[in-house]
Amino acid sequence: MRGPLTTTTPTRRLLGPQNRHLWFWIFVGPFVLGLTLFTYVPLAWSVYLSFFDAHNTVSPTDFVGFDNYTAMLGDDAFTGSLVTFLVFTAFIVPATYVLSLALALMVNRLRWAQAFFRSVFFLPVACSYVVAALIWKMSIFNGVRFGLANTVLDWFGADQIAWLSTTDPPWYWLVIVTVRLWLQAGFYMVLFLAGLQRIPPRLYEAAAVDGARPGWQVFRHITFPQLRATSVAVVLLLVINAFQAFDEFYNLLSDSRGYPPYARPPLVYLYYTALGQGQNLGLGSAGAVILALIIAVVTVVQARWFGLGRKED
Amino acid sequence: MQTRESTRDVRDALVGVGRAVRLVLLLALALLFLIPFYLLVRNGLSSEADITSPQWRFFPSELHWSNVRELFDDPNVPMAHALLNSSLIAVLTTVGTLLLASLAGYGLARIPYAYANVVFYWILGTLMVPAAVTFVPSFVLVSSLGWVSTLRGLVVPTLFSAVAAFIFRQYFLGFPRELEDAARVDGLGYWRTYWRVVVPNSRPVFAAVGTIVFIGAWNSFLWPLVIGQDRDAWTVQVALSTFTTAQTVNIHELFVAAAVSIVPLLVVFLVLQRHIVAGVERSGIDD
Amino acid sequence: MSMSRRRLLGAGGGLALTGALASACGSNNGRDGDDHAGQPVLEQWYHQYGEPGTEQAVRRYADAFDQADVQVQWRPGAYDQQTAAALLTKSGPDVFEVNGPTLDQIQGGQVVDLTDLLSEAKDDFNPAVLAPKTYQGKIWAIPQVIDTQLLYYRKSMLENAGVEPPRTLDALIDAAKKLTTKDVKGLFLGNDGGPGVLGGTPLNAAGLTLVTEDGKVGFDDPAAARTLGKLRQLYAEKSLLLGAPSDWSDPAAFTQGLTAMQWSGLWALPQVRKALGDDFGVLPFPRDGAQGAPAVPVGAYGAAVSARSRHKAAAKAYVKWLWVERTNYQEDFALRYGFHIPARISLATKAAKLRQGAAGEAVRYVTDHGHAEPLLWTSASRTAYQDALSRIIKGGADPDGELRSVVRKTEAELRRVQKKN
Repeated sequence: MRGPLTTTTPTRRLLGPQNRHLWFWIFVGPFVLGLTLFTYVPLAWSVYLSFFDAHNTVSPTDFVGFDNYTAMLGDDAFTGSLVTFLVFTAFIVPATYVLSLALALMVNRLRWAQAFFRSVFFLPVACSYVVAALIWKMSIFNGVRFGLANTVLDWFGADQIAWLSTTDPPWYWLVIVTVRLWLQAGFYMVLFLAGLQRIPPRLYEAAAVDGARPGWQVFRHITFPQLRATSVAVVLLLVINAFQAFDEFYNLLSDSRGYPPYARPPLVYLYYTALGQGQNLGLGSAGAVILALIIAVVTVVQARWFGLGRKED
Repeated sequence: MQTRESTRDVRDALVGVGRAVRLVLLLALALLFLIPFYLLVRNGLSSEADITSPQWRFFPSELHWSNVRELFDDPNVPMAHALLNSSLIAVLTTVGTLLLASLAGYGLARIPYAYANVVFYWILGTLMVPAAVTFVPSFVLVSSLGWVSTLRGLVVPTLFSAVAAFIFRQYFLGFPRELEDAARVDGLGYWRTYWRVVVPNSRPVFAAVGTIVFIGAWNSFLWPLVIGQDRDAWTVQVALSTFTTAQTVNIHELFVAAAVSIVPLLVVFLVLQRHIVAGVERSGIDD
Repeated sequence: MSMSRRRLLGAGGGLALTGALASACGSNNGRDGDDHAGQPVLEQWYHQYGEPGTEQAVRRYADAFDQADVQVQWRPGAYDQQTAAALLTKSGPDVFEVNGPTLDQIQGGQVVDLTDLLSEAKDDFNPAVLAPKTYQGKIWAIPQVIDTQLLYYRKSMLENAGVEPPRTLDALIDAAKKLTTKDVKGLFLGNDGGPGVLGGTPLNAAGLTLVTEDGKVGFDDPAAARTLGKLRQLYAEKSLLLGAPSDWSDPAAFTQGLTAMQWSGLWALPQVRKALGDDFGVLPFPRDGAQGAPAVPVGAYGAAVSARSRHKAAAKAYVKWLWVERTNYQEDFALRYGFHIPARISLATKAAKLRQGAAGEAVRYVTDHGHAEPLLWTSASRTAYQDALSRIIKGGADPDGELRSVVRKTEAELRRVQKKN
């Protein structure tokens, strides 16, 4: 049983180290094994594919070195999509952050009906992207006269707008951003609510004694700094989620013939390159590896910036 | 004294106004957040003519409850069967994930091991890999195991959630040591301490993570679409997609199907909501 | 029938479900190619057809084949993606219909050569749709039915606006503008404004092709930029319907009166007739320029055999039986549920349903003006072209510049696939 998994570290407590190592792997082993099989093996396979001309095959023979990488980095459509999601991230992260924090602050101060409002804002979290995209695309922001948005415009005598098909101005961003805000704000609101509950009341009492005005001053000097840990976690999660955006873009903008060349996140572009009739698995994998590297670098830089992981040591 | 009194009056008045503004704002936002649900029900219970009418109708001229029956009678879409499949898959995925991730989280948080950090980062690293990146190799792997269209194929590969393990680890780091020490003194090992002391005292975090996993399993689309090839293995989301990919779209049936697809989740959600918030509070998800 | 048994199980509650899934876990459905009562088990895939009855029909055909146990799978969702992924594995289908196969699938050895199945019947298949299934003289899929697309127009709306059915692209642009009012748009080319559904059709209408017979880029010509540039006008003048709840493949926008003209499939014809009676007509995509001619796209789903099938001989025998020999089933499949043109010339000419009225005209357009997408037009080229077309139409990008980069990409793709010979 002990085998190669146990190493001998000279720590002495209630149980012998060998025994503890065994227990560590009993607890953690099954999970790590599954994760390795179902995530790292496919990942390694993708990296392997990215060095081959792999059209319609996962066991290619035609080694091409870094050709797929240079092709991908020289592909306007791919680099364009990288820019798209940078813009998207730069917008959606602060927007979701502000909305969910504002909701949490407002709900937290309520004396009555708190549970009601919390439920209302949290409920969309239960909706799938498929269902949400359906409602947005077909009922709120469709381009014809019986769409809700166009009905409202009509009350003010304005012309109908084809929300998802208009590129100038790019109204489709309004659709994409609102659907994501609706789906996600409630979840982060709950994280902030939890953070707010943990702020010791004596801090507010002390501030009141010092004459700080309730509202902005208290928020700035007490609430916001106290929420730092929550904020860091929320921003990290938001950025990772934004980089991996796929579902709502795909469900809102794709049709049976493909995907328009605007608002196309990298994952959607890779999906069409590698899957579907494109089936250029080598090129698609190269793009995926590039994307994963970008995400890794951004996450690590961010974690460093926020000083995260310090307490891990 | 006089001036101080009046400033206090002004301040109280301001606070009152602020409170009113906040309430109005909250009500407006709540209304906005509820509109999509309203549309789901409105369109689902309308006739096609009511939905596409040039004149907007807030309420259908007549409630077509028959739409629901029409949906369950549609021979092309086995909705009832899909609902059962989704339930089974979501429950199994939730139970499996909770078991695996909580054990891993506890081991990482509480059992001293020199390379625990390496293992931790090994797990955390997967958070940065978009699922779509490894989609094709994952599919080939699962199908080479012969798991296509099987319950195993739909459930097992999704059981290893790094996020869940991460949340459990954070939570167990903050778990009061005294409780465990007492168990240790009673002669319990890691295993029995975990089951007899740690799990019973951690219900909120299990509820919180469980709900999130359940939602994810219920709503997942791409994996069941490709793995659940037989009609017998369709989930609700796959069944739903048959309406949108058909050549002609039947709007009211699509919406009634969408409404039916979220009802089970909403129920689970409303019942467990309190626990979710409590669980998040205590889990240290955000620490 | 297996269908009703399954539904019964579904209705029977949790226990039945567990049973069904458990059985799906264990042995089953021929993925392993288990013999079933001494017969090979074949799995056959179809994409989800919209017309009621089609699924029951194909299951009926499959049951009637007595040399193998054929199990039909009816696949909703992104069918091309699903088949492409499944063909990489052993758990894919034995026989499947495919909107292709693509050149890469043929070159990658994913499908089986079916040339000998056709033999004497070969001349009876419509050559326009057989050509893209043929590579280096071999046939890789048997065309099932022919689909085409047409311009539907509302006669009464055109009359009220004093507009003639448009015979040139300029006339079409004019008509769309005149027909546009506050509530009704002139023309519907899909929610993306046209690039997806039109594909190479406007080029064909200008007398050009996507890829020439000898494997060169067919639109490296000033006429291409001119024609595609005109499509921009439709969008810029707000004559196009955009953002309808259902896309071009569904005649709903047309029958609901959201648009006076719509580009849609032949399959929509019965629905349009049911909703509008005689108040509609059909046209091909109108010609443009002196070299131009009207054009309609034609395409056919083909029946192919996976190279990973364990029972290739049985699978080929089944395809031959169903799509070559059983002409009565082919006729039933093409004409009874949806509205398609049989791929067999002999069946198409004798179908009464295809002789009169709009249907008769559609058949004539296919014969006289049909263009199929060439096999050498790969997915990478198509994506580049569609992106460019979208930027031209919606972004007002310079057609010359956009087309130059598409020509470059297409040339690279053609070099790649021709190198593999």
